[in-house]
Amino acid sequence: MDFAPNSDQITLNSALDKLASKFASTPTEFRGFALVNPELAQELELGGFFDAAQIPELGPVSAAMMVERLARLPYTAEVALSMLVKAQLDRDWPRPLAVIENGRPGRFVAEAATLIILDGDKVGVISPARDAVESVDSLFAYPMGRLKKPLQYNPLPDAEAANIRKWLRIALAAEAAGLLQAALDAVTEHLTIRKQFGRPLGSFQAIHHRMAECTVLARGVRLLAIKAAWTGDAGDAAIAALHAQESAARVVYDLHQFVGAMGMTLEFPLHLWTYRLKALLSELSGRGGQAQAVAEHCFQ
Amino acid sequence: MEFEWNQQQKDFRATVRDFLATHLPDNWESIAHGPGSASQSDFSRQFCAQLADAGLLVPHWPERWGGRNADAWSAFILAEEMWAAGEPRGGQYMNVNWIGPTLMRYGTPAQQNRYIPPMAQGQTLWCQGFSEPEAGSDLASLRTKAERQGDHYCINGQKIWTSYAGEAETCFLLARTGAGKNGISIFLVPMDTLGITVVEIPSLIGEGDIHEVFFENVMVPASAMLGEEGQAWDIVRTALSLERVGIPRFALASRMLHRAVGTLKQHNRFHQGAVEQSARAQAACEAARLFSYEIIDQRQKGITAGPEASVARVATVNAERLVAEFVVEHLPESLAGGDPLLLAHHQRGIVAGIASGAAEIQLNLIATQLLQLPREPR
Ligand SMILES: Cc1cc2nc3c(=O)[nH]c(=O)nc-3n(C[C@H](O)[C@H](O)[C@H](O)COP(=O)(O)OP(=O)(O)OC[C@H]3O[C@@H](n4cnc5c(N)ncnc54)[C@H](O)[C@@H]3O)c2cc1C
Repeated sequence: MDFAPNSDQITLNSALDKLASKFASTPTEFRGFALVNPELAQELELGGFFDAAQIPELGPVSAAMMVERLARLPYTAEVALSMLVKAQLDRDWPRPLAVIENGRPGRFVAEAATLIILDGDKVGVISPARDAVESVDSLFAYPMGRLKKPLQYNPLPDAEAANIRKWLRIALAAEAAGLLQAALDAVTEHLTIRKQFGRPLGSFQAIHHRMAECTVLARGVRLLAIKAAWTGDAGDAAIAALHAQESAARVVYDLHQFVGAMGMTLEFPLHLWTYRLKALLSELSGRGGQAQAVAEHCFQ
Repeated sequence: MEFEWNQQQKDFRATVRDFLATHLPDNWESIAHGPGSASQSDFSRQFCAQLADAGLLVPHWPERWGGRNADAWSAFILAEEMWAAGEPRGGQYMNVNWIGPTLMRYGTPAQQNRYIPPMAQGQTLWCQGFSEPEAGSDLASLRTKAERQGDHYCINGQKIWTSYAGEAETCFLLARTGAGKNGISIFLVPMDTLGITVVEIPSLIGEGDIHEVFFENVMVPASAMLGEEGQAWDIVRTALSLERVGIPRFALASRMLHRAVGTLKQHNRFHQGAVEQSARAQAACEAARLFSYEIIDQRQKGITAGPEASVARVATVNAERLVAEFVVEHLPESLAGGDPLLLAHHQRGIVAGIASGAAEIQLNLIATQLLQLPREPR
């Protein structure tokens, strides 16, 4: 056991921090839902970050750490599937990747070069034609897209399908960990500054305890996600994704409560993380789906 | 104890439903989106006039002001049915529930004659100018100032989160005329008075809902004051006691829950996780409904609601939360180009624990007033 990153991982993380710092602040005039900047993915590509997980000293653990780190940014880009799922596909499919689950709208679908189709028990991978997809307006703070009509695909063999589902769970948990942490950071700052009744809101014990519990949840999601990336175990992946979705539901409610009406505006950037978390809440069949997977893999 | 409606209550609910069935147009779903939008406000003027003609706008008001002294149950049944239909009265629900009754109690004859008849006819929209950037939960710390200048007051300051301000004709405004809680007064201010600027706030909750309202040397005659100088806190407390259970949010939440479950069943997506969560949400809606009915029962019997009203509020917040969470988890397309009614409900539901007072403040009241726990040291 060793909970500290190795020296290669430290080097990678600090290079990523440097890149991320350029995308760390929300533009003051932004009043929208999905905040994107194509340069983020371009710089990650140029820096070789998408391929880092293939280097043996780094591995999927590093990928999970990078996904978590990047999810804390106000800007979003398709990172998680490229870093954690792409390497599991049968060949070198082009990025960005997106998931279509049971025909519903999905994150990054309109710009994806590769689509992973989840259709009941079946899983397929296709390259969609440009006109097969369209973007859709939404409250989710990701660019959302959908298929214009169902596409043909060849279902993967069961073992391959299960492996992809497993890495999708790890990707979801790693992304959620970063979103939870960023949302908590934003609200912690707000509670320190905002005063009511002559004192900072953050000094009320009613808030202390709930913020502290949210922190326990967020940190738990991070550890579980990174461990699952390390073991590549289906049970670990299911647990990480379940804890991510459970925590998301709880933390999103609490944080919006604590920011009050300000959190309903598009000016205060809380929704950038909470509405991403809401998007993740439904994925991979939601908490019920994760619980089934936990039952299957952890309680034989 | 009895949990059945009497015949008169059943008949009244049926009358309201019939009215909605015949007067709410099919395209209502698209108008409902954005409760403070211009289209919604226009629609509400037409719709409320029809309600007034049918005797369904202010049935619980005294006859003198166009009502028929209907009881607390009728008023609540009406509120439930309207909210469950997406609140086609828009911001006018405030006139009906508390602004009108407050003017009846505290207004001068001139104020009453000027403001109450247009409310009873469904022709006017008000906004509530309470919250300020630095005065949210701690409303008593508000700073907007009204200075006496001869027979006028000069108002300077800023309000925020003001619903319907973009469309309202009149503001029920709180402003400071002295120090402390007893230094706050109420002014009935026409929104077209010189010096008032309204700025819409882009939000998660739809078009036209919340605003900033700036007051710069706004001159109003002394006759615009409601009640005495410094009486605002008492008046507002009585006024809002009419609102204590709050909006019957559980009625729409429960209806939307049924709608979502129906859609899931239709598409063979009503699986184990969804079954359990929808059941929990339904239980929360029913608990909220019963708590609210308990308060109405007390009101009907002339008992002033105590901390039980906070219990009803918190239960309602729980119901909204579980329904909104259920829809996001199991019908996420509702937030991405899907069912506009479920989207509109989401946008209303997420403010349940914040608008008209944070749930945490209600929790404090339950702890100190119902449980009689000692207060947190300040
Ligand atoms: C959709 C919407 C419509 C609104 N419409 C109007 C309107 O028409 N007119 C109007 O005047 N106002 C309106 N409001 C404002 C509303 O009344 C305030 O949002 C509310 O009073 C809370 O104030 P705040 O948002 O400033 O939160 P803050 O006071 O900053 O509080 C933030 C959070 O801190 C916590 N908190 C605060 N105090 C305590 C405490 N003592 N103990 C424990 N926790 C605490 C709570 O979780 C609270 O939610 C509206 C708000 C919304 C969201």
